[in-house]
Amino acid sequence: MSAPRASAIPAEPVVIRDATTDDLAAIMAIEHASFPTDAWSESTMGAELADPNGRYVVAVVARHGGDRVVGYAGLRAPRGAEQGDVQTIAVHAEHRGGGIGRTLLGTLLTEAAARGVGEVLLEVRADNPVARALYAAHGFTEIAVRPRYYQPDGVDAVVMRAAAPFERVGAPIVLGIETSCDETGIGIVRGRELLANVIASSMDEHARYGGVVPEVAARAHLEALTPALERAVAEAGIRLDDIDAVAVTNGPGLAGALMVGVGAAKALAIALDRPLYAVNHLVGHVGADVLSEEGALEMPTVALLVSGGHTSLLLVRDLIDDVELLGETIDDAAGEAFDKVARLLGLPYPGGPWIDRAAADGDPTAIRFPRGLTAPKDRERHRWDFSFSGLKTAVARRVEQDADAGREIPVADIAAGFREAVVDVLTAKAVDACLELGVPRLLLGGGVVANARLREVAAQRCAAAGIALRIPPLSLCTDNGAMIAALGAQLVAAGRVPSGLDFGADSTLPVTVVQTL
Amino acid sequence: MILAIDSAIGTAVAVVDARGTVLAECSSADTRGHAEAVGRLIVEALAAAGTSADRVGAVAVGMGPGPFTGLRVGIAAARVFALARAVPLLPVRSHDAVALAAGGGPLVVTSDARRREHYWTAYSGLDADGLPAVAAGPGLSRLDELDDELGALAGLPRLAAEAVPAADLGRIAARRLAAGLASPPLEALYLRSPDVTPSSGPKRVTA
Repeated sequence: MSAPRASAIPAEPVVIRDATTDDLAAIMAIEHASFPTDAWSESTMGAELADPNGRYVVAVVARHGGDRVVGYAGLRAPRGAEQGDVQTIAVHAEHRGGGIGRTLLGTLLTEAAARGVGEVLLEVRADNPVARALYAAHGFTEIAVRPRYYQPDGVDAVVMRAAAPFERVGAPIVLGIETSCDETGIGIVRGRELLANVIASSMDEHARYGGVVPEVAARAHLEALTPALERAVAEAGIRLDDIDAVAVTNGPGLAGALMVGVGAAKALAIALDRPLYAVNHLVGHVGADVLSEEGALEMPTVALLVSGGHTSLLLVRDLIDDVELLGETIDDAAGEAFDKVARLLGLPYPGGPWIDRAAADGDPTAIRFPRGLTAPKDRERHRWDFSFSGLKTAVARRVEQDADAGREIPVADIAAGFREAVVDVLTAKAVDACLELGVPRLLLGGGVVANARLREVAAQRCAAAGIALRIPPLSLCTDNGAMIAALGAQLVAAGRVPSGLDFGADSTLPVTVVQTL
Repeated sequence: MILAIDSAIGTAVAVVDARGTVLAECSSADTRGHAEAVGRLIVEALAAAGTSADRVGAVAVGMGPGPFTGLRVGIAAARVFALARAVPLLPVRSHDAVALAAGGGPLVVTSDARRREHYWTAYSGLDADGLPAVAAGPGLSRLDELDDELGALAGLPRLAAEAVPAADLGRIAARRLAAGLASPPLEALYLRSPDVTPSSGPKRVTA
C-alpha cells in the first residue's frame, strides 16, 4: 500500500485553515474532551498558536455566518532548523474516522517540507493504536519509548520519526479524468511521477465542421472513456484498486463534455471507495509542470495558457491556493483564430499546423496585421487581455480584396503575417506581465504551445528579459488527464479534504477556484 | 446484487437482488442536474440497501432513448462503475422499465425529447421470461404525427413517462440473467444526429 486512503467521503465539506487566537476557545473544548487527564492549559495553547516558529491549523465545517472547528494540529519547526515536531493533533469525537486526522497530518508535513526541516518527530501514547497506525501510514517509524511519559495515567510515549522528503512519503497514486473539450484524457501519477497519459481525441470528427462541435465531442467522450481508462491502467502497470484518489476536471469547458467526465469520476470514486477531487482545468495546465523532471516550479510564476478554447494569462503564487487571472481573451481564443484563418485561406482543420506549414514559405513582415488590445487606449481596461477577432477580420478583408481584384491570394505571406501578430501579442503581454509584476518566471501551456514560432519568440524574449521560461512536454501541454491527476495529487499531498459528491460541471468556472468542494 | 442507473429523464438509481427483489430506490426528478445527482444517488441507494460497492455483482444501465446531455451521465457512470468493480454491464432500453412498471402492455411508452418531439416505443406485452416485448420502435416523432408512425399500433394505450423507474430497469436485468439471456449490445439511444451542419464556407466581411 502506497499511501493513506481517505475512504469516507465526508457528509459535509471540511476545510483546513490557519488557526487564529479567535479559535482558542473552540480548540480548548476539543483539547479537554480529547485529553481529559493531561490537557494543555489555555495559556500554553494560546502561546503555541502565536509562535512564529510553529504553524497551527484547524479543520472547520462551514456554517452560515462562520465556521465551526472540528479538529486542530500544530507543528513546531523553526525555519532552517534540522528537526521539526508534531506538537498535537486532535479531532472532535463526532468527526473521527472521516480522514480529518490524516488531512491535518498531511498539512503539517507539507509545512515541514516548506520550512526545509530534515526530519519530523512526535510522541504518541502507547495505548493509542489508531494514532500510531496513522503516523506509520505517513512514513513514521517508532524509534524509542519513553516509559510512563504521560502522567497521571503512567502511559508510555512512543517516539516516532519521519525523514524528508516528506512528499515522497506515501506519494499518492491519483487517476485524473479530463473531458472539457475534444480530448478524452486519462492520466495516472504517483505524486510528481507520471505513470500513464492516455489521450483519445475526436479532432478528426470535427474537421468537417471547421471547429469543435460540442455534441460530437460529448458523444465521443462517452465512447472513448472506458477504453482509455483500461489503457491508462495497463500503461501505468497498476490495478484500478491501487489508485488512492480520483481527480476530475469540472470546469471550465464545454458543459455537456464535462458532464461525462464528472459522472464517470463520481462512479469510479464510489466503486473503488476512494476520495474524489474536482479540479480546475486551467490550473491543471499549470499543474502539468509538477511532472517536469527539472524539479518543482518556483513560485510565484506567470502562466500563459493558449489553446483552442482559452487564452489566459495567470499569476500563480501557489498552485493549489492562490491563482489570479491577470487577463484573458475577450473574444476568440488564439487556437480558434488559427482555425478560422485557416478556413479563410482554404487550409484544413485544425488550423495551427497548416498555418505553420504555409507560413514557412512566407514573409512575416510583408503584411502587417493588427495587434489586438495593444493600443495606448486599451492599456487601462485591457492591460493583460487579448483579442483576436479584429485580426481574423483583417485577414478576411485582405483575402476578399485580393479575390475581388482577381489577384492571387498570398497565402504564405498572410499565414506568416497572421502568425507573427498572434505570437507577438501573446509573448509581449506575457513578458510585460513578468516584468511589471517582478516575477521572472513564465510557464507556457495549452495546445497552441505546439506552435514552434510561439516557443521560439517566447524563448528569445524571455532570454532578453532575464525570465526563466518553462514549457512542459507537448503531450502535457495539450488537454490531458495527467495534468488533472498531478493537480489532484498536489491537493492530496497538501492534506486537502476531498470534494463532496454534489458538484456539477461548471462551464465558466473561474480560475481562482482550484478545487470545487 | 444489481446496481441499476438511469438518466434518460431524471436520475434514478436502484439496487435489486438476483431474484429481482427491490432493495432500494433513489431518484431525482430534475431533468438537468444529472451530473450533480448521480453520485449521491448511488451512495444513498447502496446504503439504503444495506450493501456496499464491493458487493455489486452487475450494473444495469438505461440506454435511453433520452435527451443526450443527461443520458450520457448515467451511461458513463454505469460503464465506469462496472469496469472498476470488474462486473458485467447490462444495458436496458429505458422505455422497457417504464413498460414493465405499467404491467408490460400492450401500450406505447412516450417521453419528452424536447424541441416538440417525443421518443416512443410500442410494446405487445410481457414475453415468457416476463420481459416487455417491443412491437415497434424506439422512434422519434411529433405527437401529432405519432399515429401515422405507429400505423396498426396507433390504437394502443399511451403512457407518457415522467420518470424511468430504475427498480424496473434492475428487475429486467435480473430476469434476463435468470433466464440465461444476454443483454442486448445497446449503444446510447440518442435517436438524433448532432445538431450541426458542415460549414458552407466563410462569410464575407466586406460589402
